[in-house]
Amino acid sequence: MPLHDVHYQHWEGQHLGIWHRRAVIAKQGLKACLQVKWMRYIVTLCWAGALLQVIVLFFLGQLLVPDSLIVQWLGNLNPRLQNIARGLMTWLAEHPEVSVRTTYNLLFYYFTSNLVTFTFIAIALAIPHLITRDLSSNAIVVYASKAIGWFDYLLSKLATIFGLMILTWLGPVCVAWFVGNLLSTHWHFFWHSRVALFHVLAYAISSMMVLSILALGISAVSSKARTTVSLWMVLWLLGNALVPIALQTKPWLKHLSLEHNLQQIALTVFHLKEDFQIAQNNIPLLGQLLRGLRDQRSFALENPESAGALIGIGVLVALSLIVIARKVKPE
Amino acid sequence: MLLPIIETANLSKAFGQQKALDQVNLTVRPGAIGLLGPNGAGKTTLIKCLLQLQPFHGGSVRLLGRDVKSEGREIRKRVGYASEQDCHIPGMVGCEYATYCAQLCGLPFQAARQRAHEMLDFVGMGQERYRKIDTYSTGMKQRLKLAQAIVHDPEIVLLDEPTNGLDPKGQVQILELVQSLWKVHGISVVLSSHLLHDVDRICDQIIIIARGRVLVHDTLQNLKSRRRGAAEVVVADRQSELLDLFQRNAWSCELLSNGHVRVEHGGLNLNTVLEAMGTIQLPPLEIIPSPNALEEFFVQALESADGN
Repeated sequence: MPLHDVHYQHWEGQHLGIWHRRAVIAKQGLKACLQVKWMRYIVTLCWAGALLQVIVLFFLGQLLVPDSLIVQWLGNLNPRLQNIARGLMTWLAEHPEVSVRTTYNLLFYYFTSNLVTFTFIAIALAIPHLITRDLSSNAIVVYASKAIGWFDYLLSKLATIFGLMILTWLGPVCVAWFVGNLLSTHWHFFWHSRVALFHVLAYAISSMMVLSILALGISAVSSKARTTVSLWMVLWLLGNALVPIALQTKPWLKHLSLEHNLQQIALTVFHLKEDFQIAQNNIPLLGQLLRGLRDQRSFALENPESAGALIGIGVLVALSLIVIARKVKPE
Repeated sequence: MLLPIIETANLSKAFGQQKALDQVNLTVRPGAIGLLGPNGAGKTTLIKCLLQLQPFHGGSVRLLGRDVKSEGREIRKRVGYASEQDCHIPGMVGCEYATYCAQLCGLPFQAARQRAHEMLDFVGMGQERYRKIDTYSTGMKQRLKLAQAIVHDPEIVLLDEPTNGLDPKGQVQILELVQSLWKVHGISVVLSSHLLHDVDRICDQIIIIARGRVLVHDTLQNLKSRRRGAAEVVVADRQSELLDLFQRNAWSCELLSNGHVRVEHGGLNLNTVLEAMGTIQLPPLEIIPSPNALEEFFVQALESADGN
């Protein structure tokens, strides 16, 4: 009997199920991502954005309280802003079901769209921790020899990147919705803002799904972190650079931009055209301001190119799935 | 009669035109099984096909009585594997890695952590378990590979060249641990190696594979009995007198560089040799029956395969 052989005992316990094993991989992946210092900064920034959103929603709620400090403070500002605030107050008081829905919808569109940029950065930082390093360290062999299958492995990695995007994107917006309504003056804000929340969920979850698959695909392209991160940056930044070029050359080129395609999906999901119209009709002064904005971007806002965007995204997702199927193997 | 742990029927695998496994038929009972073969013989491919790490093109494989294609995940819960190549989860420390591997096999976290430490003790890892794996020496990595292979208490462990890169002392320790897995704890071991000495030392069943075909599959005892009639005699002195004696008996013999005398006596046991030595009153210090039997058998098997 060897010298060390004093501790071996057979294990008599009950094995946990496959969902537990998948969760273990996803949790480990998320932990590895958050061990990167810059990732923690990005997540913090996203939650700072959520805090900002809560503050805006709190201000909005305070407009319904005539003698609130916010109203008094706005009264001391320039008359134009004060007029907008009065219009908003009246609108909120008289038609809360429409005003809350519209205001929240516009705010959520704004915040959700802005958080996409941070999410793209987060994905760039996370890509090496998804599949790339498993390929370079042969960890893929370790996973394949354990009680998990190829599908379980991919599903877990998908959950990792999806979980990360919950931290940087969906989480901040949803928490802002909840806390903002909690701080509002009436409980009916929860009910009236449900459509806006649904828009956020529909847009963010579908986009997160797409981004997760793309991130996995790019992560599986190579066993070198530098290559996969560069590829993601090229897809993101070069795609964005193509949009202004496409306006003067071939319009379809803009659908090579992932961010542009997601923007089109967002415009489709949030139905901003209707909201802008309602806001203009109810607060004339705000309407003038928005009209200026609409003059510049009216076509894009009112006629999102969802079909082209879906095709562009579909092609990228298909390519990604092909890469995953070909590259993610123990050998 | 113990049920077979490995059953293959016409197992075939090819890489392009190159046949890595050619109609492999095996029925392996529990024990310490040595998988022998020269480099490129198909040992690693066979193990990988057993674990479904590589798809096979023909035939069927049953491990622990279950079909690997339909029940691969359930099977791997009861199987441990240490690959030849260096593989680990980057950025993890040793004990964290072993715990993680146990969790991947379905152990709850507390049990996984406890067993990880037990197995790291078992393989002789000390405080280095708290260091990142990327900083480990080859020997430490081999120990960790063994620990992760047995951390979930498998019924069978497949070890691919587990002593590669180890110093002689480390090799002895690892082989003792592997040997104890079957002899003491009843965990079947498949030891793939091209080092005959390692296999000879700890295995009780031998599979010799070359060019993707199984050439020999038998117990070590049977193999050695087939090579009866040779012995290595150790004496304190009077080697030349002993050589004369053996030559007078018409036995082929030679003096080895280590001072031992090798003799091919042709008998079923060593009695004839002992009787002969008694006539000149030369007591042996030690007699090693069928020395290098495995090596000879291995070479013979390979030669016959080449002939075919």
